[in-house]
Amino acid sequence: MRRIDFADLMRLSSGALVGHPLRSALSMLGVAIGVAAVIMLTSLGEGTRKYMVSQFSQFGTNVLSVQPGKRKTEGVPHAFGGTTQKLTIDDAEALKRIPLLDTVAPAAVGQARVEGGGRGRSVFVHGVTADFPAVVKFGIRQGSFLPDGDPRRGRSVAVLGPQLKRELFGDANALGEFVRVAGARLRVIGVMEPKGQVLGMDIDDAAYVPVATAMRLFNLEELQEINVVFAHDGMTAEAIEAVRATLIDRHRGEEDFTIVSQSEMLAVFGRVMDVVTMGVAVIAAISLLVGSIGIFTMMWISVGERVSEIGLMRALGATARQIQLVFLTEAILLTMMGGVSGLLFGLFVTLLLRLALPGFPAGAPIEYIVAALGVSAVAGLASGVGPARRAAELEPVEALRTE
Amino acid sequence: MSFRDLFRFALSAVLQNRRRSGLSIVGVVIGVVAVLSLTAIGEGALRYVTSQFASLGSSIVNVSPGKNETTGGMPHGIGGVPNDLTLQDAIVIERRVQSIRAAVPVSVSTDVVSHLQRARRGPVVGATADFERLQQLDLATGSFLPESELDRGASVVVLGQTVARELFDEANPLGATVRIGSWRMRVIGVLRGRGRQLGMDVDEVVFIPIAASMRMANKSSVSRIMLELWPRADQDAVIEQVKQLLIARHDEEDFTLISQDAVLSSLSSILGLLTLVVAGIASISLAVAGIGIMNVMLVSVSERRDEVGLLKAVGANQRQILFIFLLEAALLSSAGGLLGLTVGTLLVAIGNLAYPTVDLVAPMWAVVSVIALSLGTGILFGVLPAWRASRLDPVAALQGH
Repeated sequence: MRRIDFADLMRLSSGALVGHPLRSALSMLGVAIGVAAVIMLTSLGEGTRKYMVSQFSQFGTNVLSVQPGKRKTEGVPHAFGGTTQKLTIDDAEALKRIPLLDTVAPAAVGQARVEGGGRGRSVFVHGVTADFPAVVKFGIRQGSFLPDGDPRRGRSVAVLGPQLKRELFGDANALGEFVRVAGARLRVIGVMEPKGQVLGMDIDDAAYVPVATAMRLFNLEELQEINVVFAHDGMTAEAIEAVRATLIDRHRGEEDFTIVSQSEMLAVFGRVMDVVTMGVAVIAAISLLVGSIGIFTMMWISVGERVSEIGLMRALGATARQIQLVFLTEAILLTMMGGVSGLLFGLFVTLLLRLALPGFPAGAPIEYIVAALGVSAVAGLASGVGPARRAAELEPVEALRTE
Repeated sequence: MSFRDLFRFALSAVLQNRRRSGLSIVGVVIGVVAVLSLTAIGEGALRYVTSQFASLGSSIVNVSPGKNETTGGMPHGIGGVPNDLTLQDAIVIERRVQSIRAAVPVSVSTDVVSHLQRARRGPVVGATADFERLQQLDLATGSFLPESELDRGASVVVLGQTVARELFDEANPLGATVRIGSWRMRVIGVLRGRGRQLGMDVDEVVFIPIAASMRMANKSSVSRIMLELWPRADQDAVIEQVKQLLIARHDEEDFTLISQDAVLSSLSSILGLLTLVVAGIASISLAVAGIGIMNVMLVSVSERRDEVGLLKAVGANQRQILFIFLLEAALLSSAGGLLGLTVGTLLVAIGNLAYPTVDLVAPMWAVVSVIALSLGTGILFGVLPAWRASRLDPVAALQGH
């Protein structure tokens, strides 16, 4: 046996696998469980990330938010109030004069009990302008949204979220009815399309009133935020700088506001999710390690059982290298088959999850699929080297004499 | 055959094949260590958070403006409300509710604090003298805000450590005058440094009397009112009493009462759940280790066919054979479990030495369940091989060679 070709190698290596089907299956199962765990858990992590991204991008990716107060740290804003220079509707009006900006939408939020139809409910009341539906891609189901016009004028009208409308008026018509918010009587002019939860906030269970009305009702001195929507591809560094410069100019040279872009918030969130996914994948990969120890054990036993066979092969002229190759291939075959079946099972479960929860985009990221397979191959190599070397180092005469 | 004989037979199988047994044990050890160290980290985080809360005093109830019935809403204290919480609310609560030791109105704003040529923008907290005890603040020099009527605020300020250092370097700030916005305030105290705590860095803050902060911002509302209960006061009763009192004053329930305990318990249930999930993922490796044991046991059974045949020929029954091999599996897994426990405990101890601020300790439930789990998997995965051995036909087994 001077040369050993690929077909020979496969036949020799797989012979042992087929010879002990239960044993081989169990060895593979160990690796398969590890790989499947990694795949399923990372698809959950990736699904969560994608879900959040889609939630964010409902608002459009070319949206900036200007918030009062300067913060050094990035991330979720605090509920700090009371800066020296207030962020006002006039600031929003000034921003409208910058070219490249599509929409400027000032917003002020309050919490109050909204009463109507003989019932009442405590909800968020959003002070917004006619542009609000365009910013958050909202639809109107009945009536119309807040009218266009000078945002400094607060008319006594309200638009209800569908959930709030149902809670107050049931199936009856709400248009033209009056609701009472913080002592004021507001006429209902519209009901929104249902939209569900966005970023953990139920926006269907809320009321929308003109921004000036909200500031009056809630005795607010400044806006919660100004949403700035750029024209398509208009969100350049210069355009953002123009927004900043305009506001600094209006605030007596002080930058006492914070500009947050959707993409920045997304990036922060993405980084957090990546770390979580990675951590979970590493913990799941511990079982891969244990699985490869199992394969190492079985390979070791397999070499011990086949001592005489090895001796025969050596006597027929097989080199130590060839013997080593046969056992190494056997180990790699075991782990790879385990890895592939684990992968298939993991992907299958992910598919089921996707069918069960159509809104949740579960899916293992490709780098983790590659990594899981790569790690299982490396594990095979690592767990095969020891036993393969043991087989190769057997003295042919000694080996034949055994038994 | 006596139990001792059976035990010796099983033990000899484990000891004869040391490498094989050792490897099976290592698998279990890795699983046990993973579960123990991860739960220890989770428990450590929980204890850390709990101790942070304890340093704030547990019998504190927060009143914040706004009420929301929407599920999954954002945290309270966002946006405006029709009826603000006022100083008068705080005064009335303190006077009327006997179980309350102090009602501390707090307002938070951001402003520029300056001294000579140096200026620094940071949080300005309006509070009262009781705030010092409530938050267990330590003073480096001087004193905290003076006791006075709530609605009378002197023009004095207490600086956080970082603010004092940034504005005064090594000079003594006591008695000096700083400007907050356009108001002049006399420094009467500097806090001892304490670092970040629950997301708020006390070192960056300056404290002024609540009435002064409201005068400066020209408003009548406070951010929240912190209620300090007397020890052993009935928290639920106090919450109900305050609720009725405020509803009577505001004509509606447009505020939210949250006790520190409620915040802590929801936080710890989240952390507990996280620990459980992580431990669950880690214990997958225990199942894989169990499969490894099963495989080794299968080999062990097939190697000892003739021994089993002999045992049966001299009168051992099926149950005894089953018992021998189950015992072997149990020996392997329990050795793994105990060794894992030792290594895990050692790792946790090393972790505690390296990070003395965090109190890492594997919770009892984790220790007990991981030992039970490792023993359980060993026996569970030992059943099939043992059953195979017990069903061997003695004649065939003896001939088989």
